[in-house]
Amino acid sequence: MSDLADRTATIEKTFNAPLKLVWDAWTQSEHIVKWWAPKGMDIKVIEHNFEVGGTWKYSMLMPDGNEFISEGKYIEIKVQERIVTRADFKPMTQNVELQIHFEADKDQTKFIFKVIHATPEYCKQQEEMGFYNGWGSAFDRLDRFLKNSIN
Amino acid sequence: MYICNQTVTYIMRRDVFQAIADPIRRAIIELLASESLTVNQVAEQFEISRPAISKHLKILSECGIISFNQVGRERLCLIQPQKLIPAFLWIKQYNKLWEDRIDSFENYINQLQSKQQKNE
Repeated sequence: MSDLADRTATIEKTFNAPLKLVWDAWTQSEHIVKWWAPKGMDIKVIEHNFEVGGTWKYSMLMPDGNEFISEGKYIEIKVQERIVTRADFKPMTQNVELQIHFEADKDQTKFIFKVIHATPEYCKQQEEMGFYNGWGSAFDRLDRFLKNSIN
Repeated sequence: MYICNQTVTYIMRRDVFQAIADPIRRAIIELLASESLTVNQVAEQFEISRPAISKHLKILSECGIISFNQVGRERLCLIQPQKLIPAFLWIKQYNKLWEDRIDSFENYINQLQSKQQKNE
């Protein structure tokens, strides 16, 4: 599918740690709570059924008291190799697919992470909502406005 | 009765994301972010009907994004910028979310790694 590249964000890294450690840190809930949430945000793992068809659900508390829910369902799991999961980040980015690929390279681990947005139509809809262009500048203006109001 | 309650709950759910889901409302927010305007002044900026503008202003008000201030016979629309923060945070997060999360993951496994090496 030629449009796949247009709706996929890819991050590639090589971690300076062995595959088993990287895999465990990515897939076990006691580790996930340590890195999933942005700095300063609390995270709760509500569900974490790490198996094909299993659901996961994390809740993060935003500074303003609102909850930010991330949830999904595992589609494919190949131990120490590959994870595919559907994911919804409510309220805004829904219906994406995450593909995570792990590969041992001596004592290091190659890591490829992809976020695939649902369909061109969905991306277009998000675009019309202004999130990919234009709206950012409006928020920059509001940012200045906020700073001026505080000062 | 149960269905009635469900409906009410749904209608009452007004938040910043609902406020910015419509292009006219986003335009109104941009307009009011630079200056406070009366309802008539807002309506003059758009080609849609006055009642349609009033409806959008009502939704924005229910979402807490604007408030009204009665000035003589006119109603002045004031933006409540703090109410936009959740959306603002969300967009900033969205742009950098995954990169930051992967960086955070990398830091964490580096910590785990050095802990294990110390124990060996």
